[in-house]
Amino acid sequence: MTVDVGKDYYAILGVARSATDEEIKHAYRALARQYHPDSRTESAPTTLFHEVQEAYAVLSDPRQRRSYDRQRTDAGLSEDSALSWEITPSQSQLSSLHEEQVLYLMIEIQPATTEQGERLPLNLCLVIDRSTSMQGARLENVKIAAHQIIDELHDDDSLAVIAFNDRADIVLPNRRGIERRRAKSKVSAIWASGGTEILQGIQTGLGEVEKYHDNRVTSHLILLTDGQTYGDEEDCVAEARRAGAKRIGITAMGIGEDWNDALLDEIATKSGGVSAYIASPGQVRTLLQQRVRGLGAVFARNLELRPRCTEGVWLESAFRIAPYLDRLSPSGGVIDLGSLQADAPLALVLEIGVAQRPPGEHRLLQLELTGDVQALGRQGETLRRDISITFTPAELSEETVQPAILSALSKITIYRMQERVWDTLDEGNAEGATHQLEMIATRLFDLGESRLARAAMLEAGRIAKGGTPTAKGRKELKYGTRSLTIASRRKSHD
Amino acid sequence: MIECPSCGRKHRPGTLFCSECGVYLPTGGPLRTEPLPDEELPVSRANPWVSEQVEETEAPPATLFLKVLATERQIRLPSAAEVHIGRLDAAHGIFPDLDLSPDGGLEGGVSRRHCKVHQRGATYLVEDVGSANGTFLNGQRLTPYLPHVLKDGDELQLGTVKLQIVLEE
Repeated sequence: MTVDVGKDYYAILGVARSATDEEIKHAYRALARQYHPDSRTESAPTTLFHEVQEAYAVLSDPRQRRSYDRQRTDAGLSEDSALSWEITPSQSQLSSLHEEQVLYLMIEIQPATTEQGERLPLNLCLVIDRSTSMQGARLENVKIAAHQIIDELHDDDSLAVIAFNDRADIVLPNRRGIERRRAKSKVSAIWASGGTEILQGIQTGLGEVEKYHDNRVTSHLILLTDGQTYGDEEDCVAEARRAGAKRIGITAMGIGEDWNDALLDEIATKSGGVSAYIASPGQVRTLLQQRVRGLGAVFARNLELRPRCTEGVWLESAFRIAPYLDRLSPSGGVIDLGSLQADAPLALVLEIGVAQRPPGEHRLLQLELTGDVQALGRQGETLRRDISITFTPAELSEETVQPAILSALSKITIYRMQERVWDTLDEGNAEGATHQLEMIATRLFDLGESRLARAAMLEAGRIAKGGTPTAKGRKELKYGTRSLTIASRRKSHD
Repeated sequence: MIECPSCGRKHRPGTLFCSECGVYLPTGGPLRTEPLPDEELPVSRANPWVSEQVEETEAPPATLFLKVLATERQIRLPSAAEVHIGRLDAAHGIFPDLDLSPDGGLEGGVSRRHCKVHQRGATYLVEDVGSANGTFLNGQRLTPYLPHVLKDGDELQLGTVKLQIVLEE
């Protein structure tokens, strides 16, 4: 008997994919009675009976059923996963050229159900910089923000608060069931003095987080700082890497202009968290609140994408484009995607290099996505999809590329141009950097991002006059271009 | 290899944006808004809105309609915080809330990002966002990036495309 992967045998028998052998047998008997040529009514065609027989033949045989399930998953036809994805290539076919070509794949990942599952409790630690420079508006706004978070946390969440300068104090030890009034008064009592040693804060914070860390909670550390740390940068990154290995994410928020963006970015990336730029103290509240709400809305985590390329196909680059823009670096063939929020789809763009191919259909690569949907108690959810493209001998007429891919790529391009400016400048090529900044400004004006465009023009002007870029302008451009995310095409779940 | 029409850098076929200058490679840049000859456009400047002018009235905001004089098309402005008016350019992901392409926008010198309308209390304000040919209110040129007050019956001109403001209570 031939197995037709395109047919949904489970649907034909009207059973769930998780149906037991007994349920399958039962469903088959009922349908067989209904559709049997001897008993059928005139209107029911015999093909229905054959389909039911075919479905039963495959599903009742454990070996055939497994192979059918696997083929369905590979073909992307399986709908049983808690995760769903949509993969759009920039071109539907390629011309069989005698040179290498580029193909882009846009991947949008969302929960497959609207079923929220239970909210995982948060296991949160705020690590607050209390060095002298935080005095005044900065520390006050951080305190207000912390109060707001204390109010919003659920009763099963746990919270710790650490304040650090050149040493770290546990303001609030980690515990479940927050005594809100006491917690707030402890936070209010934080006062500013001393220097900044981030390592102290991170180590003490992680110690507190680990008290309640297991896979039934979302553990996260939020670092708020406005300054440089001296001499302990490498240890900070090592701590972040250790935290990441234990699945404790770190969000690093820099306030003002004087903090080390390269360091905070690395801490965030290594731990699987995010970094953010807080230009004015007033923004602390909204950004922190958004972050904590996002952490509470985690639907799936430990998401990993494995692109398995066939010969003559390779991954050039990978970028996350939603919820925020970020360069993704695959290690050991795995792209770590962190977590998926229920309310914010995760989207990425892969740039694929393709060597010369003869005409015909070719399988370029297989994508495999795995993740844990803790909220529904499902570990190791897996999606697999083969990406095949037809190569034609003829010259292809221009194809219209999906606006969503174009919009994403135009922003990735600007982000990469921005990354290059600082390299050019570090090489001592001020003229080149000025020119690049002017081109970035042009593109930003094209996108209607006039505020960022003006920031780029100002920096270009400063560098051209022999000055150095301002720390503010540099951060504004870096974090500004990063937030140029795409408005993802929302899919309804009906 | 394909060559960037703007900076000459070479890319593999299939590449969509030049990594050097950011230009969209398949078309070598957008359909550019051509600058119109100066004599076609008014020169005097309108007075921008200053914050003291705001009347904190409790009156419910009126609904704003824009009437394109040449085509008689009347458009109700979406009730968003900011309404962008310009010309749609899908290749660059520019999707203005109000697209003037069907009203002769390109020939009329309307930029893809031309101006925006926003509300402040019961007052509607218009702001030119650095358009190539300028925005004009009752024949006076708006200073880019400064808001100007819109009143019922005003004539708003984007490049040479004329619109009439209709405010309905």
